[in-house]
Amino acid sequence: MSLKNTTEQWGWLSKLFHWTTALVIFIQIPLGFYADSLKLSPFKLDIFVWHKSLGMLVLLLVIVRLLWRIKNTIPAAIPGTALEQLLAKLAQGAMYILMLALPLSGWLVSSAANFPVKLFWLIPLPAISGPDEALKSLASEVHEICVFVLIIILVTHIGAALWHHLRLRDNALKRMWF
Amino acid sequence: MDIIQTGQNRLLALLAKLSIALAAALLWQPLLAADWQSESENSQLNFAASFQNLPIDGRFNQFSVKYTTDQAALPVNLQVMVSVASADMGNMEFNDEIQALDWFNVADHSTAIFTSQQFEIVSQNKADADYIAHGKLQLKGIEQAVAVPFSWRQINHNQVAMNGELRLNRSDFGIGQGEWATGEQIGLAVRVWFNVRMLSSND
Repeated sequence: MSLKNTTEQWGWLSKLFHWTTALVIFIQIPLGFYADSLKLSPFKLDIFVWHKSLGMLVLLLVIVRLLWRIKNTIPAAIPGTALEQLLAKLAQGAMYILMLALPLSGWLVSSAANFPVKLFWLIPLPAISGPDEALKSLASEVHEICVFVLIIILVTHIGAALWHHLRLRDNALKRMWF
Repeated sequence: MDIIQTGQNRLLALLAKLSIALAAALLWQPLLAADWQSESENSQLNFAASFQNLPIDGRFNQFSVKYTTDQAALPVNLQVMVSVASADMGNMEFNDEIQALDWFNVADHSTAIFTSQQFEIVSQNKADADYIAHGKLQLKGIEQAVAVPFSWRQINHNQVAMNGELRLNRSDFGIGQGEWATGEQIGLAVRVWFNVRMLSSND
């Protein structure tokens, strides 16, 4: 298995990026809802430290992943109708935007709330805004809308991958697997 | 005639001497005892709590400082009143939370008071000086001996900049109880600093 992508296959680095982000996002979404539901306590603060740490990890992964994607061949589209191919492209583009927008809006919420954090209890995250109640509410709103849109797209993305694998029996899922 | 003339001259001379003395007294403020009062628009009382050893800055929006100096311009009395309910940590959730029983318990103890009548001179140069005020801080119904170092810098004859910084331990005053008491996440040490503009009320 090659490091780089080919026209038929994703390379192992792209696969690694895909599945690690997938794993972190699957932890992040429920963790975020859970943290939000808790009443203020030391435990809630700990859960938020995890949420913010993993969120910044996603941001870092996505940036590196996008750079790698730009520098690389992209496997040819799976045969399908023009509409299907367009939808697949739109969904992928939207996921990249959301994977950037979610951590960035979350970072803004944390900064505008005047709440400092050490990622993984190690790295202090600099504030990208001063204390600002209105900005905090706006960023929270954006964060929330983004996560709901992401959930809808993820369901579609997973559904489509399974549809291709189980019904169409093509290599859409296989070429992203190891 | 001569006697009357001499009398008038003496009266004039006396009046002149009195005017000079009065002018000198007015110009030479330090000779007088003075009462000083903070000017709220130009005064800040800040504090920094910490989370994961990173500071979270806050401030008290309402407080007042009263200060009295004697004829030698030395401090004799200091009183600081702080509205604990005016604590602002730049976040409505925090601001609500810190009013609660576990933190400031504002419902029962809305005001913190620091008073001192004992001043240690650290250094002095004309009207400017550095002092340590040894006094008592009453906060959340608990009184503790606290030493507050501050500088006193004359801006003009009736305006002074009073600045200082100290560290308090929140557990000395029972602030942050129950599950917050350990200081593991929200640190026990709290930095307090102030930049206060004092106005003399004698003019």
